[in-house]
Amino acid sequence: MKAIEVKNLRKSFGDFAAVQDANFGADSGEVLSLLGPNGAGKSTTISMLSGLLAPTGGEASIMGHSVIKEPEAAKKSLGVVPQDIALYPDLSARENLVFWGKMYGLRGAALKQRVDEVLEIIGLADRQKDHVGKFSGGMKRRVNIGAALLHKPEVIIMDEPTVGIDPQSRRHILDNVKELNKQGMTVLYTTHYMEEAAELSDHIAIMDKGRVIAYGTHDELIQMVGEQTRIDITLNTEAEKVLALWQKAEGVSKIDALDGKVTALVDDSNRVLPRLFEAASRVDVRITSVDIQEPNLETVFLHLTGRALRD
Amino acid sequence: MKILDIAFKDLTRSFRSAFAIGMMVIAPLMLTGLIYFAFGGMSGGDVSMTAVKVGVVNADKLPADSVLEAPIGDNIRSMFFDESVGSWITATDYADEASARSALDEQEIGVAVIIPQNFTERYLSGKQDVQVLIISDPTLSIGPAVVQDMVTMMVDGVAGGGIALQTIMERLDANGIQTDPAQIPSWIERYGNWYAEFQRNLFHHPDKAAYVVVAPAAGEMETADPIQKVMGLTMAGQMIFFAFFTGAYSMMSILREDEEGTLARLFTTPTDRTSILTGKFLAVFLTVILQGIVLMVAGHYAFGVNWGEFGAMGLALTGQVFAATGLGVLLIAFVKNSRQGGPVLGGGLTALGMLGGLFTANMPNAMPAAMNTIANFTPQGWVLKAWRLVMDGSAAGDLLIPFAVMVAMGVVMFVVGAAMFGKRFA
Repeated sequence: MKAIEVKNLRKSFGDFAAVQDANFGADSGEVLSLLGPNGAGKSTTISMLSGLLAPTGGEASIMGHSVIKEPEAAKKSLGVVPQDIALYPDLSARENLVFWGKMYGLRGAALKQRVDEVLEIIGLADRQKDHVGKFSGGMKRRVNIGAALLHKPEVIIMDEPTVGIDPQSRRHILDNVKELNKQGMTVLYTTHYMEEAAELSDHIAIMDKGRVIAYGTHDELIQMVGEQTRIDITLNTEAEKVLALWQKAEGVSKIDALDGKVTALVDDSNRVLPRLFEAASRVDVRITSVDIQEPNLETVFLHLTGRALRD
Repeated sequence: MKILDIAFKDLTRSFRSAFAIGMMVIAPLMLTGLIYFAFGGMSGGDVSMTAVKVGVVNADKLPADSVLEAPIGDNIRSMFFDESVGSWITATDYADEASARSALDEQEIGVAVIIPQNFTERYLSGKQDVQVLIISDPTLSIGPAVVQDMVTMMVDGVAGGGIALQTIMERLDANGIQTDPAQIPSWIERYGNWYAEFQRNLFHHPDKAAYVVVAPAAGEMETADPIQKVMGLTMAGQMIFFAFFTGAYSMMSILREDEEGTLARLFTTPTDRTSILTGKFLAVFLTVILQGIVLMVAGHYAFGVNWGEFGAMGLALTGQVFAATGLGVLLIAFVKNSRQGGPVLGGGLTALGMLGGLFTANMPNAMPAAMNTIANFTPQGWVLKAWRLVMDGSAAGDLLIPFAVMVAMGVVMFVVGAAMFGKRFA
């Protein structure tokens, strides 16, 4: 039995298909990342898994319990960390955790003990009596995660938990995820930061425009790119002037411009780069920096979609 | 159990919010307090009010052929020396206008009432060329106004009596009944006595100032102090107005939870949606009950409000809770977000409160008949009606109809609102 199983899952809002025939799964005790740009369908997928949205079609289960037919049983096995802070700012950290623990059915001494444990895990035992509204963004994020751990769920879903926080809190959260996974928890982690997915995941599902376009381990996904190299180029002007010329250049398989930066997937950077410089000079565009990188998940995304992964 | 947990959490949040506490308890008490102090806090009994010092010059003489036994000036003068006004008016006779003016200049008196020599003769002959002159210290405002009102009421009363007497004599004459002119002085005297008593009661026992047409219901409560009754109705009006605010404001927590993301998070826990919504509704219900109890206790001890018989009071409060919760749920069901909630609640509840008569609660006869009819279509109107009955000393049995209407209105509004919420968060 898989801890998470998604088969042909679909969700439409009117004519708009937010998720189209998504298929992926995670074994017990592994970290599965859903990687994709904003609007790829990641949040819609986990909203269906966590019982917030009813699927239009397909099936999904948590620890063998269908989220459609047995939602209560599925929710008991599941802890959800929402993307935005979902806590009561006028209650203390402890009061928040006690309340959420009760919502997962914990009572009495067991609840008290578990709240104490979670406060230690998230490193806020000394601030437990302070109102959450007075916390920094990173501290709120930690309580946000803690609230999903109270009932020791077998599966935890974390929806972009590191968005908009400082590097120190981000590191703390990533270490938390690794620690939880080490304790045997299955983690479904959504992110659009490919380095987070690479660091944490046993398996990665890449989503784009509502579809799972690739699924595998980090190495399996990198192999999809083959021997290609990614080159990031910065220009002194808009990329449009040179992009058409570069798309036709020999050795360039994919190229995309985003935020004033051009990302290209090339067969051999030593041979291709002179052609790119030559084409740029023809249209009076000056290249101000070049960064040649080994293939990574962003390269995979570019390879699969022809677009860069960045926001 | 989870229903109680959700309700308790909402109550904790409400009672930690300074704004909520202000709207629930402080604002109604403060507004009632303002009215209380505007009345001089008189319902408490121990009041020290500076006496108005009045100087009276009564030069009025009875015309030789008058049927009156005494000039009107004597009646005016005696008003200021009446023992019933002794605690707040100190009157002194002066021989003439000059000596009264001198006393005023020396601040021995605050107001001088000068009744001219031929006032009765000129007044009864319908000529307005002679008037009672009131001169006052320009630094005073309330004292001179009171004195002027007293003189005006007395003079108007005499004029009214004259008109009434003339009308009666004409009617008797038209019906062929001859009046004995010798009886007229006795009629006038009786009228004068009645009118003086009426004026006295108007100030001190307004409930006895006119003839009572309807006999009081059995067990009707005696209200020792009419101002206390006014304070009670004022407090009731404020309590009802803010109870409806509290109902709606507490229900708005569901919108805030939706915006804060905690509602969605609640839906990801193994807690069914019915329990979540029921918990939130229960919090509103309990908040309105608690607010009502706090305000009633505070109103009793701060302003001496007598809330009436316990059973009737319980029915009125329960009906108020049903109606306020129901309207709160219904109103918020139409609101998209908490930003929209403020104007909707402010405008909607104020308008309904006005239509329901909450702002004129202490002046039951001030509203036109049409407005009283409209009030019957508002939950606030029925709640006020119930509290009026309770404060008039009605027993629980007399409240069954208003109670049934309040509960029915509350339940209908609640069911419609809850169905809309259920659909919205399905």
